Amino acid sequence: MKKKINEKIEELNERVEWFYGEDFKLEEASEKYQAATKLAKEIEADLKDLKNEIKVIEEDFSKE
Amino acid sequence: METKFSVSDFIAYCNQTLEYAYTGCTIEGEVSEMKTSQGKWVFFSLKDEGGSIDCFIPIWQLRVPIEDGMKVLVRGTPKLTNWGKFSFTIQAIQPVGQGNIKKSYELLKKKLTAEGLFAPEKKRPLPRDLTKIGVISSTQAAGYADFIKIVNERWGGLEISVCHTQVQGLVVPDQIIRALNYLNEHSEVEVIAIIRGGGSADDLACFNDEKLVRAIAASKIPVITGIGHEVDESLSDLAADVVASTPSNAAQMLTKDKKAEIKNLHDNISRIYTQISSRIDLLSNDAKLKTLSISSRILSVIESYEGKIKSTVSILKSLNPENILKNGYAILRGEIEVGNEIEITTHDKNIAATINGIKERK
Repeated sequence: MKKKINEKIEELNERVEWFYGEDFKLEEASEKYQAATKLAKEIEADLKDLKNEIKVIEEDFSKE
Repeated sequence: METKFSVSDFIAYCNQTLEYAYTGCTIEGEVSEMKTSQGKWVFFSLKDEGGSIDCFIPIWQLRVPIEDGMKVLVRGTPKLTNWGKFSFTIQAIQPVGQGNIKKSYELLKKKLTAEGLFAPEKKRPLPRDLTKIGVISSTQAAGYADFIKIVNERWGGLEISVCHTQVQGLVVPDQIIRALNYLNEHSEVEVIAIIRGGGSADDLACFNDEKLVRAIAASKIPVITGIGHEVDESLSDLAADVVASTPSNAAQMLTKDKKAEIKNLHDNISRIYTQISSRIDLLSNDAKLKTLSISSRILSVIESYEGKIKSTVSILKSLNPENILKNGYAILRGEIEVGNEIEITTHDKNIAATINGIKERK
């Protein structure tokens, strides 16, 4: 299932946190940095492309 | 042939004609001689300089406080009573003019505040990361256009369900109430935005309707209002969970800014880069410190050996016979007997000598 944009942003935040945490390993940093950069570019593209879906409800609210 | 009616039929015929001719008739006038009967019915005269008509409204339909002397706008139907008196049956009423609106507003505000309808502890925050928004507004209104424009500029991927209602006039409160009920019962929206652009006090007076204010306060889904301009405050605003100063402001409060979010993404990636550099510096410094420590230890051992060697060399130097000779001593070689020849070595000479005599030292 395709992830929603908010979920992707949350995932990126977690990836960024790894670089500040105890689990940081220099050997893995390059690969993780590239993965985070790729995700950031994906989010940026999503943000630029995503449109809102506006639906006007057909119900007539003027009728009692 | 001339039509002949019974009295009752004639009254019914007149009422039919009146209802057909004046459906949804709106009249503006001043309230006078207002009285309540049996706690259920409200009677008053509506007058201007030229005339006066009797009006009637059931008390449950009186949704804004009114008083004698107040100028009001009423919507209803003219009617001939069974006693032949002309009366205007009111379906909706609203004060007119800034002073009257303000007075009615203050009276209702006092009543509803006492009931705790506007209590701060009842306010719910807007949900984070919204995906479904309900909007109640007129799709033809400028305020709605502003709201949608800002939402589209700021964020994407939202499902926006719009209930089209009128946003001006006596019919507004009931339409908005029906839209609120619809969204509460038949939608999955996470927040409801009631949107209306700026207008005069008369235009916005419908948002002080008691039934509407109660419906907003009772909504299961959090409500945000973006009604009028910054300076306008309606009772609907006070009942809402969150108040935006304008429709555009409501759009800003409901959505994140994609431009800021993209900047944040770039900042995050830069932060990672800086953090990796900082981690590498840290590890490099650690290695440097360890190297320095080892070098220092090696130097210390070398210095210790150097000290020992210097000391040994110094002792050896002190034991060198040449140094002893320099101090004035001499080496004597040969058998010590009178008449024997001996050899004497000083620090700079070898001397041949003959022993002339020997004396014992004490």
